[in-house]
Amino acid sequence: MTSLALKSLWARKVRALTTTFAVVLGIAFVAGTYVLTDTILAAFDEIFAESLKGTSVVVTAKNPVEQENSEVPTISAGLLPRIQRTPGVELAAGAIFTPGAFFDSEGDKIGSKFSPKFISSTLPGKLESLTYVDGHRPRGPTEASIDKGAAESSGLQLGEKIGLVSAGRLRQFELVGFTRLGGASFGGASIAQVTLPTAQALTHKRGRFDQISVAAEPGVSPAALKRRIAAQMPASVRVETAGENASRQSEKIDESLGFFQTFLLVFGFIAVFVGSFLIFNTFSITVAQRISEFGMLRTLGASRRQILTSVMVEAVAIGLIGALLGIAGGFVVALGLNALFEALGIDLPTTSLVLEARTVIVALLVGVLVTVVAAFMPALRSTRVPPIAALHAFSPPPSRRRRRVAVVISILLAALGLFLLVSGLTKGGGAGSRAALVGGGALLIVIGGSFYTPKLVPPISNLAGWPLQRLRGLTGRLARENAQRNTSRTAITAAALMIGVALVAFVTVFAAGLKSTVAQVVDENFAGGGLVIQNTDGFSPIPAGVAGAAEQVPGVESVQSIRSSKAKLVGGEDVQVAAPTPEIEMAVSLTWKAGGPTALRNLGDGEAIVSDSFASANGLAVGDSFRLLTARDARPQFKVAGEFESKLGVLGDVLVTQPVMARAFGQRQDTSAFVLVEPGADAATVQAILSKGIEIAFPIAEVLNQGELKEDRETQIGQLVNLFYGLLALAVLISLFGIANTLALSIHERTRELGMLRAIGMSRRQVRTMIRYESVITALIGAVLGLVLGVIFATLIAQPLKGEGFTLSYPVGSLIGLLLLAAIFGVLAAVLPARRAARLDVLESLQYE
Amino acid sequence: MAGANGQVVVADQLSRRYGTGAAAVDALVDVSTGFDRDRFTAIMGPSGSGKSTLMHILAGLDRPTTGTVELDGVEITALDDGELTQLRRDKLGFVFQFFNLLPVLTAEENLVLPLSIAGRKPDREWVEQLIRTVGLEERRSHRPAELSGGQQQRVAVARALVSKPAVVFADEPTGNLDSKASEDVLQLLRRAVDEFGQTVVMVTHDPAAAAHADRLITLRDGRIVHDAAPGSADDVIELMKQLD
Repeated sequence: MTSLALKSLWARKVRALTTTFAVVLGIAFVAGTYVLTDTILAAFDEIFAESLKGTSVVVTAKNPVEQENSEVPTISAGLLPRIQRTPGVELAAGAIFTPGAFFDSEGDKIGSKFSPKFISSTLPGKLESLTYVDGHRPRGPTEASIDKGAAESSGLQLGEKIGLVSAGRLRQFELVGFTRLGGASFGGASIAQVTLPTAQALTHKRGRFDQISVAAEPGVSPAALKRRIAAQMPASVRVETAGENASRQSEKIDESLGFFQTFLLVFGFIAVFVGSFLIFNTFSITVAQRISEFGMLRTLGASRRQILTSVMVEAVAIGLIGALLGIAGGFVVALGLNALFEALGIDLPTTSLVLEARTVIVALLVGVLVTVVAAFMPALRSTRVPPIAALHAFSPPPSRRRRRVAVVISILLAALGLFLLVSGLTKGGGAGSRAALVGGGALLIVIGGSFYTPKLVPPISNLAGWPLQRLRGLTGRLARENAQRNTSRTAITAAALMIGVALVAFVTVFAAGLKSTVAQVVDENFAGGGLVIQNTDGFSPIPAGVAGAAEQVPGVESVQSIRSSKAKLVGGEDVQVAAPTPEIEMAVSLTWKAGGPTALRNLGDGEAIVSDSFASANGLAVGDSFRLLTARDARPQFKVAGEFESKLGVLGDVLVTQPVMARAFGQRQDTSAFVLVEPGADAATVQAILSKGIEIAFPIAEVLNQGELKEDRETQIGQLVNLFYGLLALAVLISLFGIANTLALSIHERTRELGMLRAIGMSRRQVRTMIRYESVITALIGAVLGLVLGVIFATLIAQPLKGEGFTLSYPVGSLIGLLLLAAIFGVLAAVLPARRAARLDVLESLQYE
Repeated sequence: MAGANGQVVVADQLSRRYGTGAAAVDALVDVSTGFDRDRFTAIMGPSGSGKSTLMHILAGLDRPTTGTVELDGVEITALDDGELTQLRRDKLGFVFQFFNLLPVLTAEENLVLPLSIAGRKPDREWVEQLIRTVGLEERRSHRPAELSGGQQQRVAVARALVSKPAVVFADEPTGNLDSKASEDVLQLLRRAVDEFGQTVVMVTHDPAAAAHADRLITLRDGRIVHDAAPGSADDVIELMKQLD
């Protein structure tokens, strides 16, 4: 029976292949995600290994709180002589490796927007990891080198001028060399190298290092040397062997990649889920079409179990083939994803593509499991075919009991889903587990609800079909009737599209909400109506001299600024700490719950102002004290001096003074600065002057007015939304294949009927039109349901965010556009099936058995 | 009422009613009969006479409303699905009007399909003999689509015989064939009875087909109205006219 199942699958290989395709796309995406992230990780591992080749021990500052967009703590240069005197040390040197930006002689930025760029210092002897492929190492304060990749992409020549900027002003250098890091690519990252004192000056790290690299004498093990050095170092310093340092760094990368990976996998699994609808439908239809075959096998003595097995063997085979093709497709997807991110300006380092055993196992497991689960119900139905079906065209009537069971199951699923959804929305816990609850709940509701979609098919198809019938008469009417002929088949086909559309609608509604929220945040926060200075990337700190320089510009009344850093409650969660200038309220509005503007103006170094949500979460009131663990491994204590109403915005949960921020948290650069224009001065003129000056001295900063700031934030959201659309396109694409596949199968079923229609005078064009409309109606059913679901989910999920200032808005125009798009997709999906139907030979179709 | 008296199938007071209330139709009314071993029986009757219903019930494909069927010593009307499956493997062979070969298998694979399904090893000699008997030595590895209707039906007959069942039921086996091919198939069924000692029960509306049988049962309105040797095809035509 197994070989029979495989043979019969082979005989229907074209149909099987389209079914397989449903799995292939989803699995290719899952496999591609793994391949891409594994490849990136391997590339980083190579970079870390290569950059530590001549190094035995690495000394850095402990960094107990992972920073996102703030300065990373440094170590004192005073530690170096102690290390150099340690027995067993052959060579030790301090190094700088700090984010910055590079500009060519025309003032254009070198490298793409989001790619990381670092300013590094030259290292002596074997500690140097960069190889010079051209020119020489920088020797004096006016020389710099840059990596070959960046030089090539920006067309730089030796001897040219380049500008480097980090924490201070832009400085011009002569380009004296091109570098490479072993055989590894940096991916999108670039490195500019200058001498150590120059690097320290550029990054405002005089007397400090980012790290001290140590080479051991021959015969001294890195572990032994590490112990000797560690014994002499203060507690805030971390001493690691090169190996430990590399694996810690790659763990960090792994962690951040983990988020990225999960993010992509979610879309892969959505695609797989949509594909499972397709598989379910295809199996249902083929089982229905093979009823007399199953009946015959039963008369020959095949047991129910054997029939079940033969269908399930087909499912496993399709799953396996799909998974294998999916793995192959994964490589293509990995390259495609990489291209997608590059197009968005996010360069990821890659080496040759990496295929881990895990990728293969997951792909095979998902492929087989999904097909087997999706095919199980149809397979079960095939076992209910009685032997007598061999004698007639016979369709087994579904029993009432099963219907009732289905209703019970669907209600249970939806109830469980709702429970998960609500608990995900209301309960505490990590964002990840909450999102999983919400996602799982939504999934169950969709599955549970899809039991009811057959009931919704007639009303919606009547609605969608009505204008078609009005416009096109008979063909429209037939299309509508055909869509309703097998409601559960149409429903499943539409449900596949529904999922994609629901997610697109959700993203659209949510993004519209985010945009209006951002606009509102800008309006509410920046009460002063002045100008904002931020990093051109929108999140990194701006150079330290910017605020001071801005104050010198005529027409500027004052410059307020905010610095921020992430800290931890000792033994607790992460806390966003901000240090505003005392007069920040001139620019940013605050609503006070306790204390007031004077509390902020007179804030002492041992005091903090906290948000009301932070206060209530930690049981704090004015006069109470709490302790924070900072990026510099310090544990300062703060007394609560005031309380403000928390909201989405630039201020975190805890406000401290700027000197404390520099000393205890190591943050000396502003996150953003607010420029207040003198009454009577023309804001536009001030902005123009300011922009010009900043462009020359600090080209990584930009000056925005409120409108531009809103626009900037909205553009960022827009980019993210486009990324989501791109990823969701996959799920929609699969569901279109589903529509095409279902149409093709039902045309096959209706061959005789189509022949009859042609025989009584229907033209080929009319046949095509009829099929096309049927597809459009199916697509519209999916789109309408998806739209409703998406809007409901977005509304639900926005509820708990309302407290934090999230405002929901419904982009009616975009949603209607989505419906039109779905109708167009329906037309596209019908192209091939309609052509096939129109080409049927009349006489042959009439004799078709 | 045992099969021991030489009867391989015994039907006792079979009635079959479809539907309920005013729409109810009695397809069979109190039919009792038996089928001897090694005999070729034809069942005839106009459409709606109940001939197909009778065969379906005899073969365990349908259940009677009342009455019992004993097949080779086993009372089959009360069997569950698993037992019926086993019965089909051991004791029943079927020939259908539309051949019902699997298009994906070759002629020979179709022929041994019942054995493959039951997981039994085919008796090579018996299979070869069957292939010779149906005259498909040259076409054993052809697919059904590459065979004529007559050739396909001969494969189907051989398939019904391959498990040496207690009885072969044929449902309009010549209904879809021209007269030459029909003759071949009927000869084949005849030889199955004469040479291999098979028992064959055939439903047909073709008098020429009925003439090949040893016995002809005629039904009308769910009752047996005639039961005798068929005589020649012309005799059968004459009989049908009388019954109309």
